[in-house]
Amino acid sequence: MLINGQLKYESQKLAMNYFRVALVLFGAQLLMGLIAAIQFLYPGFLFELFDFSVARMVHINALVVWMLYAMIGSVYYMIPDETGHEAVGIALGKLAFWILTAAVAVVVLVYIFIQVGSGSESTIWFINEGREYLEAPRWADIGIVAVVLVFYYNVFFTYLKSEKKTGIMTVMVANLFALAGLYLCGMFFTDNISMDQYWWWWVIHLWVEATWEVFVGTLAAYALIKILDAKREIVEMWLWIEVLMLFGSGILGLGHHYFWIGTPEYWWEIGALFSALEPVPLVAMFVHVLYDWGKEQGHAEAGGAGTAVKNSPAMAWIASNAFGNFLGAGIWGFFHTLPQVNIYTHGTQFTAAHGHLAFFGAYATILIGMMYLGVQGAYGIKKMTMTFKTKMSLFLIIFGVLGMAVALTIAGYEQVLVERADLGGGWDAFFIAQELPWYVQAQAWRLVMGIVTLVGFVYLAWDLLTIGQEVSQKESESVAAAA
Amino acid sequence: MESVIHMPQLAPDEFLGIFVMATLVLVFGVGYAALITLSKMGFVPKKWQPFGYFFWILQAYSLYDLAQRVQSNPFTTKVLMVAMVIYLFAPHLYFYLIEESENRYDPVEDGQTTKSLKEA
Amino acid sequence: MSKKSASVWTSIPFWRRSAAWVTGVATVLLIWLTFDTMGQISMGSDEDLKNGITKRIPAASVINYHIDYQFDDKRGHEVPVIGEKETFFGKEWSAEEAAKLLHLGKLTSQAKNCMNCHTLLGNGAYYAPDLTKAWLDPKWNDGTMTGITGKASKEEAMAEFLMHPSQYPTHARMMPNLGITKEEAVALVAFLKHMSAIDTNGFPRNFSQSAKRLEGGTHAH
Repeated sequence: MLINGQLKYESQKLAMNYFRVALVLFGAQLLMGLIAAIQFLYPGFLFELFDFSVARMVHINALVVWMLYAMIGSVYYMIPDETGHEAVGIALGKLAFWILTAAVAVVVLVYIFIQVGSGSESTIWFINEGREYLEAPRWADIGIVAVVLVFYYNVFFTYLKSEKKTGIMTVMVANLFALAGLYLCGMFFTDNISMDQYWWWWVIHLWVEATWEVFVGTLAAYALIKILDAKREIVEMWLWIEVLMLFGSGILGLGHHYFWIGTPEYWWEIGALFSALEPVPLVAMFVHVLYDWGKEQGHAEAGGAGTAVKNSPAMAWIASNAFGNFLGAGIWGFFHTLPQVNIYTHGTQFTAAHGHLAFFGAYATILIGMMYLGVQGAYGIKKMTMTFKTKMSLFLIIFGVLGMAVALTIAGYEQVLVERADLGGGWDAFFIAQELPWYVQAQAWRLVMGIVTLVGFVYLAWDLLTIGQEVSQKESESVAAAA
Repeated sequence: MESVIHMPQLAPDEFLGIFVMATLVLVFGVGYAALITLSKMGFVPKKWQPFGYFFWILQAYSLYDLAQRVQSNPFTTKVLMVAMVIYLFAPHLYFYLIEESENRYDPVEDGQTTKSLKEA
Repeated sequence: MSKKSASVWTSIPFWRRSAAWVTGVATVLLIWLTFDTMGQISMGSDEDLKNGITKRIPAASVINYHIDYQFDDKRGHEVPVIGEKETFFGKEWSAEEAAKLLHLGKLTSQAKNCMNCHTLLGNGAYYAPDLTKAWLDPKWNDGTMTGITGKASKEEAMAEFLMHPSQYPTHARMMPNLGITKEEAVALVAFLKHMSAIDTNGFPRNFSQSAKRLEGGTHAH
């Protein structure tokens, strides 16, 4: 991941820069999560020095930002492949990258060292906005909008320049417009907490359960063609069907966040109906990826080519994406999406379990896959195979995140029974549930599994940094031996 | 607007069943879709197809049971069962689409592939 | 390429159009529902409160009234009930004063990052208790916290706790000192009292039973 050597396009070199920062932020996310997990068990840890609220804020912000970095990187990487052109405003794009990275660094430093401000507008503007996931202060919001405009300019006008407008690129351009536009819904202040959360969910939900999902579908389509030589028309036909199903269920699925925030009761029915449909496209995506894999593998074997997969680390991560999306977003989401159940699970560790597994399964996996595709391009590798480190990182990260999700589910289950169903919530009910052995042990297992995930990350980072060199060396050796 | 959903009072010992049933609905659902599609494609022997339908029956039962456990009203339960009947067609539609799209966009004669032709 | 099997089901333009239509219809429906919801969740006025008109989100001056959370047989869950007038920090607040106070309280709740430990309306982090109905929590009403802080009223006890949380620990897991001033603390209490008057469709459920159940002692230490 250290060099760009074999990449022909500046756009793809810029993509590698985005991937590099994304990897660093991914590491930061895990470290912050570790601190927060320790604080659940040992509340005195860093108390009044680096409190849970700070660790948790940096944890979730690093998550969102690393994913956005990897997403922007993925788009810059695929632009030349899909349009046949260099990104039109690449110099501006590079400038925007450095501005964004400098801004992210300043925001994180302020989060860590200043932490909270006084109850005034200036805090909202310069320290943090105090709205989960959208904590970035207002000045950074405006900066993000400016950078995203530059990015979108590059995507849109390069797309216009291309002779043949591919379906993948069309979906990308339309979806990114919605994705970027939605951010504006989170950029105002109101005294009315219900109104606040109503629009806050427009950003959060319509990102992670609609536009990000479509984004992932688009990336998977691109990757299937790139890695497996899947037939473009078939992949694009399925992409449109996925867009139909994802937006058809996901947009009104927003209703499942409007059960209890002061909004009217009709959201119960709308939310229950459409969010119950949300797993359907995930099933379809799951089957589709595996089907294409099996089919192309069959072709390759029939043609005597051995394996059809040109980048097995990327393929492994994308296959785990198809599975993880279904498991994390589908099953763990469906668990608690009906209002009859959600009134008891809302605001417990159930949500945390779902959040961990869904963000990882639906997004982290495929974005890691894209990083491997980038490495392959950067080193000009024809067939990228797994190293020992690839396998270790795959196993440890998947095992670790699954373990965390199971542990948090047990904790959430205990909370539902004791704190909610039996005691009805409230201060004492909360702490009684927090102190029972089932809960404490679940949190202990979560910490253990978090450490497993972190070790997996170390393998992943190490692999991404070295795999290009290793595999390209092997490849040139075998070419030399054949000659 | 009159609310269709009635908020039941759930006792602590009712939750496990609800969570298990909700999981089973999706697990059987994906099992049904996968078995039918895979056996039609020939990756799995044809004799597995009845098991696919058995999964569908289990899924329909799980959904019915889930609806009872969260005390859905009779109308909602009926709608859910109609949805299950529609889902019965899903893998068939899915397979139809795969086959038709292959015929249209990637016609392959037996024994050779478009790709190996390209590379040759 | 043979055209004989060119069914509409495999036509890319067909699926593209369908995707566009479905997305468009869903978006239009969402926008339409949003207009309706906006009407229902905009804040009520001081007049509404005086005339006993129930709003899902009442005016800030609801802090001048007694608030309760009771089971409603018709709706099948608990709803906030706005009762007789009561003083808040020993006085009645005018509509403007109350609105200003709520503004400061909401700002402070964001500036102090409450949501990254607590949940508000059930959304946030899960490290500390839900604050949706914190104003009505038995802990503030049964004499525990007024006793510990040595204050006469629950609003004063809450403000004192918010200013010096780690001086009044109730569990090993404590709230840190966030440098909250007296003015901000009063405003935060107003923000919490206002939030407890929001009609949340019965969330959190059985909250009004909480105190009674805890007395039963099945789980109490």
